[in-house]
Amino acid sequence: MKLRGRVTKRLLYAGTKSEHEGLVLASPEGEFKLRRQGGNPFRDDTLAALEGKEIEGEGILRKGQFIMSGWKILN
Amino acid sequence: MQMDKVIITNMGALREKYGKRMPRIERALLRLVAADGKRGLETKVMAVDSAADMEAIGGRPAMDKNNQKQVKTAVDAVYQAYRPDYLMILGAPDIFPHQDLRNPVYDPRGDDDRVVPSDIPYACEAFYSTDSRRFIGPTRVVGRLPDLMGSADPAYLVSLLGTAARHKTRARSDYQKHFSVTAEVWKESTALSLAKLFGSGAAMATSPPKGPAWTPAQLGRRVHFINCHGAPSDPNFYGQRGNAYPVAHSAKRLIQKIMNGTVIAVECCYGAELYDPADSGMQAGICSTYLRDGAYGYFGSSTIAYGPSEGNGQADLICQYFLSEVLEGASLGDAALRARHRFAQAYTHLDPVDLKTLIQFHLLGDPSIHAVSYVTHAMARAKVFKKAFRSRQNVKGTRMLRREKSARTGTNLQHSLGTVKTTDASMPPDVAEILASAAKESAVSGFGTRTFNIAFPAVAMKGNMSRFAEVRKGRAVHLLVGRKDLPPDAPGRVVALVATVQDGQLIHIRRLHSR
Repeated sequence: MKLRGRVTKRLLYAGTKSEHEGLVLASPEGEFKLRRQGGNPFRDDTLAALEGKEIEGEGILRKGQFIMSGWKILN
Repeated sequence: MQMDKVIITNMGALREKYGKRMPRIERALLRLVAADGKRGLETKVMAVDSAADMEAIGGRPAMDKNNQKQVKTAVDAVYQAYRPDYLMILGAPDIFPHQDLRNPVYDPRGDDDRVVPSDIPYACEAFYSTDSRRFIGPTRVVGRLPDLMGSADPAYLVSLLGTAARHKTRARSDYQKHFSVTAEVWKESTALSLAKLFGSGAAMATSPPKGPAWTPAQLGRRVHFINCHGAPSDPNFYGQRGNAYPVAHSAKRLIQKIMNGTVIAVECCYGAELYDPADSGMQAGICSTYLRDGAYGYFGSSTIAYGPSEGNGQADLICQYFLSEVLEGASLGDAALRARHRFAQAYTHLDPVDLKTLIQFHLLGDPSIHAVSYVTHAMARAKVFKKAFRSRQNVKGTRMLRREKSARTGTNLQHSLGTVKTTDASMPPDVAEILASAAKESAVSGFGTRTFNIAFPAVAMKGNMSRFAEVRKGRAVHLLVGRKDLPPDAPGRVVALVATVQDGQLIHIRRLHSR
């Protein structure tokens, strides 16, 4: 599936064992935590470069996470 | 009619998944039933979707494999009919669903698991419900032997059934050496857990800098205790130092390195999530990989888990209890049940985080396996004892006593333990002031408060306990969640202050640091 939206950083899983700063994709379909297939879900420097950008990603949705296999930067 | 063990599954779903290769699974199942028989266990295979199986016990077949209410109702009917000492669920959730319970800690800003996929309802007498508070008193010994989500190759499940059929009970000494890896930020908590279990945390490895290339000697130890980060649909666990999250443990590095008979307790978020390998580049999860390589049992969480930054709590405790029971000689299923009991018994009431912990951990593996042998009482070596049991074994009799004890404990918990319920009531001004001061002293800026009432079952207010009825009515839990003024990636940035209030008076306060 494809999703479009802006990538922003925020605190995820606040108060849990897995609390960390991570990226989310704010899309018309909702806000999803952003991951790269095969990437580190807690800190991914490849995805970090997308912060603040609007993208169209391709991937799968699993438990509120959008796991991307590819993407293109729209602006 | 009483059975020692029931293997419960959905045959239609298995046939649909495996097609022409289904006979391989059926033969493996028969081998397990035969092996159980040689060990003195009378085992029956029941299909919840079979009209014949279910009508024979006066139940209704679960026609829709994903209808959790139908499946739970069918399981209850099977349990009532056969009263098995062990109930083994066969299949991953695409064959036999978990029961989705509402997450008592759900918060879109933090713990965003809307539901907790759980097997604890199958271990409880209560009817189907999505309310986790209905399932705080498990009485049944339950485990799940999963197949591989989404895969039509029967080899995986045949292998797991074979491991269960061929399993050996070993001496305690075979389980003395352990492998443990912890995120560096939690090393003190993990060391405390290991000291309680093994007398020392000296064998603990921290990530970073260690991992994920563990040596065969490390991975070859038969007890693994892991306290790292985990994520959904991810085949790795992660360590942490500051804002670095290196891979600490990786499914692909476990293959063919796990010793037959290994037992694993995992505190990680999503540590026992059964996901489709297609979601992660065809790499099965760590739990699935351990089991394929001959592990007997794996105890972990389906969702986001909790623990304090210092000392032990929540995930630390329930994992410790599971391993300690296994090491004392309990069957894997009984160890899981007793771990839940010990965890719940420690409290007058379960706060939302404790409740989530109780329902989210489950056993993957054949619950009837005793990985470690009991240390027999000295009298068992006496002539009179051997003579008394020469013509009949006492295994079933003593197991019956254990089940009776567990049923009593679970029933008592269900009838006596308090649970929280969200309320719109406001926090007493003086408590709010104390929490605000505590937050200030901890350099915490609060971003939210929640108030909970504590509800006790009616029966828990009767008889001798009636003297606590009035006191309990005036009890509430107030939660303040805030952030420490630390760098964004620093661990421990979020702090929860939990205040227990009695009749408007603060009687207990604790501070939980996020990890």
